[in-house]
Amino acid sequence: MDETPQDETRQGPLPLEEVERLVDLVRESGVGEIRVRRGEVEITVKTRPEAPASQRDPGAGSQSVRESAAGPEEPSPELDGVHAVRSPLVGTFYRAPAPGEDPYVEVGDSVRAGETMCIVEAMKLMNEIPADVSGEVVEVLADNAAGVEYDQPLFYLRPQE
Amino acid sequence: MIGKVLIANRGEIALRVIRACRELGVRSVAVYSTADADSLHRMLADEAICIGPPPASGSYLNVPAIISAAELTGADAIHPGYGFLAENARFAEICERVKLKFVGPDSRTIARMGDKAEARKVAEKAGVPVSPGSDGPCASVAEVRRVGGEIGYPLVIKASAGGGGKGMRVVHDEAEVEDAYLEAGREAAANFGNGSVYVEKYLERHRHVEVQVLADAAGTSVAFPERDCSIQRRYQKLIEESPAPGLPGEIREGLTSAATVLIDSLGYEGAGTVEFVYADGEFYFIEMNTRLQVEHPVTEMVSGVDLVAEQLKVASGERLEVPEGALLPQGHAIEFRINAEDPRRNFLPQAGPVEFYNPPGGPGVRVDSHLYAGYTVPPYYDSLLAKLIVHAADREAAIRRGARALDEFAISGLETTLALHLAVLEDEEFRRGGVSTSFLAERELRSEGGLLRLATAGAPSA
Repeated sequence: MDETPQDETRQGPLPLEEVERLVDLVRESGVGEIRVRRGEVEITVKTRPEAPASQRDPGAGSQSVRESAAGPEEPSPELDGVHAVRSPLVGTFYRAPAPGEDPYVEVGDSVRAGETMCIVEAMKLMNEIPADVSGEVVEVLADNAAGVEYDQPLFYLRPQE
Repeated sequence: MIGKVLIANRGEIALRVIRACRELGVRSVAVYSTADADSLHRMLADEAICIGPPPASGSYLNVPAIISAAELTGADAIHPGYGFLAENARFAEICERVKLKFVGPDSRTIARMGDKAEARKVAEKAGVPVSPGSDGPCASVAEVRRVGGEIGYPLVIKASAGGGGKGMRVVHDEAEVEDAYLEAGREAAANFGNGSVYVEKYLERHRHVEVQVLADAAGTSVAFPERDCSIQRRYQKLIEESPAPGLPGEIREGLTSAATVLIDSLGYEGAGTVEFVYADGEFYFIEMNTRLQVEHPVTEMVSGVDLVAEQLKVASGERLEVPEGALLPQGHAIEFRINAEDPRRNFLPQAGPVEFYNPPGGPGVRVDSHLYAGYTVPPYYDSLLAKLIVHAADREAAIRRGARALDEFAISGLETTLALHLAVLEDEEFRRGGVSTSFLAERELRSEGGLLRLATAGAPSA
């Protein structure tokens, strides 16, 4: 999932009109998912699994548009494109720089690659763990002050350019 | 008693320690690399922590990761097994500093005996026979020549920080000194980060005999019946047995009393092995390993003592309780190291999935192994897959039992040294007993009708 393009200038702005067309297409066609890839950009539009377009109550009205498009406001780790930030060492996980201070990140925050997301303490050394991609924090997976293993997922990020 | 032990190792030895913990009611913590996620030690321990990536430098040799894992799980002791950090004095010292009991001697003793040139001096001072050689490390080619002039050739140049034959060269005459000295030094520097070497008289056609010792913090020590580990390939032991075949009684007593004198002079605690070379009725100290050894089960079989359980008890501060009878060997035991190496292709290391696995059973058979059908042998670590240990009333019966068990042992998916062991057991000289460490080097491996045979070099093929 860590396929964030290094060179952001190579791409144009997000083709929003195209996304809208895809949303309409998914809704009208009744298929579960449409995926379009153009160069570095890949767009996936899918219906919610519990409410496939073909089986939806036609009387649901205006709500159906929102339900049919999986947007970033409906995070789920199972979705494509969610990136796990993993612990590079064994230690104790801390969300804040010091007791009583605010956590480095909260769900919904945007972080840049390289920005500190948490601390993993090992042998009294505070190791600042950076985001390895830029993105929005979707979920915090470990409890504050809990032990974490090497390679254990700590956060889910939705990568952003 | 220690409440929880972290095992800083993998493979069969990690399982061995977990088993001893289970039987003693001690909780166990396994640590594993991402390459060992499907390993039995991870599954059988009470807790398991992933400590790093596949290369040992990032996982099984990663001191901060291991100490952190011990702190996270609340372990109060670390058992290092053999290899990896087992003889790393710095690791033992860190354990001491953070109040984790290192299952073994203190860091000072590990450092002293880890310096092989220093260990010779310690042994000499304790009155243990040491072969003629240099007084400490040799700093130049000229110094090696001078020692060679005094003690005569052949001699052997060895790495002070060494082990396992690395940084070691046998020199047959003065003309060979310069190349051998430079090569040994380079190899020692590359393997141990320390190019220091020393010189010993080389005994041609010697046997490798060693004594298992155990001591508690109060100073009680015992020396078990000797083991003979002369079947080696490139200084790596392949077959070990106890007692050593055909050894005169006074040599036997001499070995155990030398080992006892040495560890008592060190104020040693825990399990260890004092190694000797034996030739022409004389034995000399070569080195001491300050840890549990791969071949410890042969001693367990002939003594009835669980050495790992004793290690854990001694580390808990308990007094050593070894019954008097345990120091006389009961019958004969032989261990075969089953390695993931192809003897038909110059011992090419093997890795990959184990398709079928059926270890032997029946009376007097013990298998210590981390294998199971469907397990994938990772390419990153030691090639030891299993240890087959057989025990019988005498050596002849143990050899017959060994041949039977080796024949039963089925591992498919990768090539192993099983066939080589069967070939060794067929060798007449081996069956007579008392062969030297050059046994395998003096023979050729031949494949006959799918079976391996050993032939003395130059002998016509059958």
